[in-house]
Amino acid sequence: MASVRKSGGDNLFVRYIILVSWALVCVVPILWFLTIGFRPRTEIIVPEPIYWPTWSLDAWRLLVSDWPIALYLRNSIVAVAGSVVIDLVLAIPAAFALARYDFKGREDIGFYILSTRMMAPAIVAVPIFFLFRNIGLLDSVWALMLIYAAINLSLVTWIIRSYMLDIPKELEDAARTDGAGDLTILWEIMIPACLPGIITAAVIAAIFAINEFLFTLLIASTSKAYTMSVALANFTGGSDGVIYNAIALVSFIAFAPILILVILIQKHLSRGLTMGAVKG
Amino acid sequence: MAHLSEKLEKGAAKAAPAAAVYSARRPRSATAKKMFPYLLVGPAVLYLLAITLYPGLFAMYQSLFVVKFVNWSWAGLGNYTRIVQDREFWVALGNTAIIGGLSLSLQTIIAMTVAFFCYRDPFVRGWRIVFLMPMLFMPSAVAFIWKLAFNDGRVISDLLMSLGLVSNNVDWLSSVWLARLTLIVADVWQWTPFLFIIFVGALQGQDEEIEEAARLDGASWSSIFWNISLPMMRPIIVVAVTLRGIDITTMFTNVYIMTQGTPGGATETMSYFIYRQGFRMFNFGYASAASVLMLLITIVIAQTIVKRAFKSGKS
Repeated sequence: MASVRKSGGDNLFVRYIILVSWALVCVVPILWFLTIGFRPRTEIIVPEPIYWPTWSLDAWRLLVSDWPIALYLRNSIVAVAGSVVIDLVLAIPAAFALARYDFKGREDIGFYILSTRMMAPAIVAVPIFFLFRNIGLLDSVWALMLIYAAINLSLVTWIIRSYMLDIPKELEDAARTDGAGDLTILWEIMIPACLPGIITAAVIAAIFAINEFLFTLLIASTSKAYTMSVALANFTGGSDGVIYNAIALVSFIAFAPILILVILIQKHLSRGLTMGAVKG
Repeated sequence: MAHLSEKLEKGAAKAAPAAAVYSARRPRSATAKKMFPYLLVGPAVLYLLAITLYPGLFAMYQSLFVVKFVNWSWAGLGNYTRIVQDREFWVALGNTAIIGGLSLSLQTIIAMTVAFFCYRDPFVRGWRIVFLMPMLFMPSAVAFIWKLAFNDGRVISDLLMSLGLVSNNVDWLSSVWLARLTLIVADVWQWTPFLFIIFVGALQGQDEEIEEAARLDGASWSSIFWNISLPMMRPIIVVAVTLRGIDITTMFTNVYIMTQGTPGGATETMSYFIYRQGFRMFNFGYASAASVLMLLITIVIAQTIVKRAFKSGKS
C-alpha cells in the first residue's frame, strides 16, 4: 500500500508544491471574484486595485430592482430543461439502435451524429439566425431550447451508446426468450441498466446548454429571451461601464447548482466528456 | 465493410434460438424487422439534418449573393474571390491557429503534469473537485473575471508591479502578443480541467501491477511515466486533445467580451470574423462564404483526425 502511494512523483515535497500551486491558480480567482459580488461599485474600478473589500449588498439590490433576474433564470431553466428532455427522447432510441442492431450504414450514421459536434457554431450561426427569423421564432425561449437540443444531441447519443454497449447481451436474450419485444427490452432492461449513463449525459448536456453563448446572443435579441449566460454580457450599462459586482453575483448563482450536479456525477465525468471514447 | 457482415453473421447465429421462440409467438414481417433500427435512429438523424443540412445548404446559397437587408443581388463566386484576397480573413485564420495552438499545448502539459502528480495521492477526490471548478463557471463569466483582472481592475498589472517585474501599468490591449496572452490565460484557466479530469481518470484506470513490477525492477517514477503510463494513455490523450482542439477553434465568447479583436485584429478568431461580418457589418453573403470555407476545413479535419481518434479510443 505504501509503495503504491509513492508513485506519481516519489518526492512528496515536489508533489505538494505542484498540487497546491495549481489549486491556488484554480481557486484564488474564483474567491476574489466572489468578493466582487459583495462590494460597492465604486470600489471595483479604481486605478489602484483594492484587495480587501468593504462589504456591501449593492449588487443584490441592483439585481432585484433593476434587472429581471427572475426572468433570466426562468428562461435558462425552461430552455435548458426542455432541451435535455428533447435530447433524451431522441437519443435513447438512437443509442439503442447504434449499440444493439446491425443495420446497413450503421457506422456512417453513427459518425454523422458524432460529426455534428465538430461543427463550429459560427459556421451555422448566420443560417440558423435566418432559419429562426423565417419561422418567426427569433427572440424566444423555444428557439433556444431547439438549438441547445441540437448542439448536445450528438454528445448525449454517444454517451448513452457507450453505456449500452457495456450491458451484457445475455440480459436481453433472456428477456427475449420470455417473449419481450424490442421496445419492452429498451424500456424495461436497457434504460434502467444504463441509468448512470443517461444521468451523466443529461448533466453534461445541461452544463453545455446553460453556458451556451453565441447562439443565445444571436437569437435572444431582446431581454425577453435572455438567459443567464447572455444577460451577463449585457450588464454593461452604457455610461455606467461594466457592472462587475452584478456580474459576479449572477455567475455564482449559476455556478452553485452546476457544482452540486457535477459532484454527484464525478465518477462518470471523464467518460461523459469524451462521449464514451474513454471507459471508466 | 467486411467486419460488419461478419458481426451480422455472428449476431444472427447467437440470437437464433431466442428469435425462433420470439417469432413463434408474435410473427412479424421481415421488412418491419429490418426497418426497426432505422425507426429508432431516424428521429435523431432527421433533427440533426434539419439543424445542420439546412444551414449548410442555406449558407452555400446565400454565399453566392450580396445581401443588403432584404435585397439579395447575385454575386456568383464574387464573395469567394473577395474573401481569399481579404487579408483580415487570413489573419483571423492565423490567429485562431496561433492562439488555439499555444493554448492547447499549455493546457495539455499542465493537465498531464497535475494529473500525474495527483492520481495516487490519498486526497485525489478532493483535488479533482478543486481542479475542475474553473470549468464549471459560465464562459461569459470567466471572460469577465479576466477582463477585470487584466484591464479594468488592473489587478494583474498591480501584482506584477509589486513583484518588481514591470514598472508601470501594462496596457494589455495595445500589444499584439499581450492581448493574445490574456485570451490564452483565460482559456487555459477555464479548460485545463477538461483535460485534467480525463487524464486523471485514465491514469487511475491503468493497471497498477505493471507499474509495481517496473518499480520492483528499479525503474524511476519518471521512466515509469514516459515508458509505461504515457504510451498506455496515448489513445485517450488523442481523443481528449482532439475534442478540446475542435472547441478551441470555435473560440468566440472570450474574444467578444475581452478584446473584440483588438489591437488591429490581432485577436480576431474565425468565429469572431464571421460574427463581425454578419451581425456587425451585415455582410451576410460574405459571412456565409466565410462559413462555407470554414465548414470545408472542419469537414476535412473531422473526417481524418476524429474518425481515427474515436477508433483508437475505443480499443
